[in-house]
Amino acid sequence: MMTINIEKKKKPQSLIIDIFIWFFLIGFAIIILAPLAFMFTASLMPSSDVMRLPYPWIPKTFYWQNFWQAIRGNDGSFIYIRNIINSVIVAVSITLSTVFLAALTGYGLAKFPFKGRNVVFLLIMTTMMIPFEAIMIPLYLIVTSFGWQDSYTGLIVPFLTNAFGVFLMRQYLITFPDEVIDAARIDGASEFGIFWRIIMPNSMPAVATLAILTFRSQWDNLLWPLLVVQSEEMKTIPLYIIKFSSEKYTNEGAMMAVAVIASLPMFILFFTLSKYFLSGSAVFSSRKG
Amino acid sequence: MARKRRVHRGIERKKAIWGWIFVAPSLLFFSLFSFYPIANAFYTSLFKKDLLSLRPPKFVGIKQYTYLLTSPTFWNSVKATAIFTLGTFIPLVVFSLIFAAFIMSRKRFQKFFQMAYYSPAVLSSVVAAAIWLLILDPRGLANQFVNLLMNSPGVDHKWLASIGMVRFSTILVYFWKYVGYFTIIFIAGMASIPRSLHEAARIDGANSWQAFWRITFPLIKPTTLLVSVVAMIQCLKTFSTQYLFVQSGAPRGPIDVITLNIYYTAIRDHRIGRASAMSIILFAIMLFFTWLQLRVSKSEEVSYM
Repeated sequence: MMTINIEKKKKPQSLIIDIFIWFFLIGFAIIILAPLAFMFTASLMPSSDVMRLPYPWIPKTFYWQNFWQAIRGNDGSFIYIRNIINSVIVAVSITLSTVFLAALTGYGLAKFPFKGRNVVFLLIMTTMMIPFEAIMIPLYLIVTSFGWQDSYTGLIVPFLTNAFGVFLMRQYLITFPDEVIDAARIDGASEFGIFWRIIMPNSMPAVATLAILTFRSQWDNLLWPLLVVQSEEMKTIPLYIIKFSSEKYTNEGAMMAVAVIASLPMFILFFTLSKYFLSGSAVFSSRKG
Repeated sequence: MARKRRVHRGIERKKAIWGWIFVAPSLLFFSLFSFYPIANAFYTSLFKKDLLSLRPPKFVGIKQYTYLLTSPTFWNSVKATAIFTLGTFIPLVVFSLIFAAFIMSRKRFQKFFQMAYYSPAVLSSVVAAAIWLLILDPRGLANQFVNLLMNSPGVDHKWLASIGMVRFSTILVYFWKYVGYFTIIFIAGMASIPRSLHEAARIDGANSWQAFWRITFPLIKPTTLLVSVVAMIQCLKTFSTQYLFVQSGAPRGPIDVITLNIYYTAIRDHRIGRASAMSIILFAIMLFFTWLQLRVSKSEEVSYM
């Protein structure tokens, strides 16, 4: 087959545009990455260097004391470690339950015709329109009336699943081949067995996308822990950051060390699973169904 | 024959029951933690109810709403939210569209730019605000950078002190954190445009400028509208940046967005009824934009057939 060479010689004008675009993209990449570079470099400097004019950018010596102070805390209580563990417990439990319940419901809605199915789907979709900020006060009253304030139960239960997850899983499973499910039924598999051993393992791309979205939004959650947590022991990372930043003896370098520790898990996830991070945002632009 | 039909009906019944079993846990969850709270918020908003008070709540009808609509602090919050939302989502949409178009026009380093622009979105909003608090410090990088550009050494631009600047600072933080996120959405939208359209345009002699305005732009109009509404709804819900800024000593007035006001009214002032009325107003505003989003995304579907 003959290939037509469409790109003839570049005109000087388009070369200028080309160079302009490179400069624009690289310039903004530097501006966008600068605050991140600031976080990492400042975490390794004594505070006298962090606030020096002009900012040195490259740490002269690695000032590890920042990380020691970040973990130890200003009062030597090492409460940050406990707070990190809390964040992990809360985010992991919510992620597991969200994925499980969303997949279960999405499967039920996608593959089981029953009377009122569309109403159920619509009802679940309407909850997407209820912003958390509008129901946080009643939720807080409910959780306190159950005596769940200041506990893992209180932090976890209001987020056990979400409508977006149900939507995502239903859309994904609607195209799942019915023959596979029927074949498993004929082989005598139980309905739950089919879900657990056939549906779940075969929806890994959607599950991974949903898991990352959920984990990240919980790692980021400030408002709800702010309402239900009272003791230092039950605080999560965002609350610790707020407390640490308002303490008198906090220096700038240690503050950035706290920020680096809080961000490391997300960065590790991002660099290993960037595909799912990017597809998570791209879900919005898919216009199916 | 009749038996066969009966067996078939039996399977249908069994399927229906399993459908309900699979759906029931979530349905129960949503009733308890979504529908009941929003109904409860509406109910509470009709009462004068105080947290920690032993007096029974007093029914006041729509008085909380009329109070709010004449309260200067509430209107200040509406104004703060409107300024933040407009000031954030318009630059977000414009810049993420430009970034996406420019990144897609590159033959190399596409992945690198996507990752670089997206990386701030990986941080939690509290960490983002904490970083920017240091950058916006009078001795921080923001002053150094602006003074370098404008050749005005030693000037303090009062990023966290003056009314206009503290508003601008919250917008800046939010823009920085989310621009990459929306860039990725645009890139996904642009990647779904068949290459053949661009190739056809090339053969017809269109340059890349024309190809963008005549092909890419009209075809990603649905994505643009969708991104606009999603960005807008997200901006209406902003809380963390403003909260951390206020905690660190920035003036509350200019950035007292509705969510912040709800939090302070309920938790600091213990006025649950009034906070609920504010929640319902916020809900109504967001419901309007969600409805807009649904209409928009329905009417603007693109087919490449």
